[in-house]
Amino acid sequence: MLLRASGETMGDTPDLRAVNEGAAAAGGVAGGRALLTFTDAVIAQDAPAIQSARAELVRAVGAAGMVDAAAVIGNFERMNRIADAIGIPMDGPTAAVTLSIQEELGLRRFASASHSPDATRLQRLVGRFTRVLLPLVSRLMAQRH
Amino acid sequence: MAAPELAEPEAIDFSRAGVVVRDDIFAAHRAAWQSLASPGVWWTSEERIAIAAEARTASSCALCREAKQALSPFSFSGRHDSERDLPAAAVEAVHRIVTDPSRLTRSWVEQLAADGLSDGHYVELVGVVVTLLSIDRLCQGVGAELHPLPGPVAGEPSRIRPDGLEDVGAFTPMLSTRAGKKLGLWNLPVAPNVIRALSLVPPEVEMLHTVAGAHYLPVEQVSQIGRAPGRALDRAQIELVAARVSSLNECFY
Repeated sequence: MLLRASGETMGDTPDLRAVNEGAAAAGGVAGGRALLTFTDAVIAQDAPAIQSARAELVRAVGAAGMVDAAAVIGNFERMNRIADAIGIPMDGPTAAVTLSIQEELGLRRFASASHSPDATRLQRLVGRFTRVLLPLVSRLMAQRH
Repeated sequence: MAAPELAEPEAIDFSRAGVVVRDDIFAAHRAAWQSLASPGVWWTSEERIAIAAEARTASSCALCREAKQALSPFSFSGRHDSERDLPAAAVEAVHRIVTDPSRLTRSWVEQLAADGLSDGHYVELVGVVVTLLSIDRLCQGVGAELHPLPGPVAGEPSRIRPDGLEDVGAFTPMLSTRAGKKLGLWNLPVAPNVIRALSLVPPEVEMLHTVAGAHYLPVEQVSQIGRAPGRALDRAQIELVAARVSSLNECFY
């Protein structure tokens, strides 16, 4: 949700297929292909792949951008494991506003989806409205900041 | 009380990687190492360091490799590759959290409890493992050596269970938004479950804020869509990486 909203706020249209497919579908975000190649290499802990992906990423987003990317990877290695090891259900409002993305990306295929109940009728309704309103809200928030 | 090894500035050092790492990241890693070396709420300093060391070796465990490929991760019996003096339930927990987190189940956590790992011990162990992994992945990414683990500090665990715990349907209880606010763990109108998840052991929530604030964004900035102050990547680039990691880890949340 934050990827789509951030992209829309910034006038981009991130290709959400990149979330599942990686560098093969990295359109819509500057340096996307290099970011995804690097991410995949670090998660796989493939040292030679990390080395070449790092060099490519530095060329694409600079050394400070590469450090940011490594930090974000580390952070979500952490957050994902917290969520799964504690078995937390998705929060009600989040479940509603992320519903369209869950469906688009097929996230229910993950075993950890069993920690969160299926969306209620109300959450589905809110989710539909949110999908329509999100671009507008994102632009308003961007103007406010 | 002996000073932890991390008091030596060279214990955390990115200079050999040839990259400049932001000061806030450096400070967060030092704080994390200081915390790792200190007695916790349920584990001693030595045990916390042993848990961290175990987390570093779990990815090369033969049993975990087999289990990861199996249709059911719990269809295997055997011993994890481990050389540390930790209870078997703790070793099992560390290895599964590192190598196959998306397939952990309530019954598995209940079995750990039956094998002697209390919910407090479990939550603190999760906190230690994920802090270690978060920092190690950054080091691997930027091409730095992993920080050497700190030496232990004398002292006993506090064994304080906080008031205000509630059951939200997770594997372990967590503090209510109000109780966590009262302890100064967050200042949010409604704290999301992922922020509350480790709050059975409050110092682990503080560590989450410290490391996540530097590695990703401070919690109060997360909802500022489209913004990433002080970062070289823009917010869409950050969220692309975040989403891809979550997908690779098969994390629904």
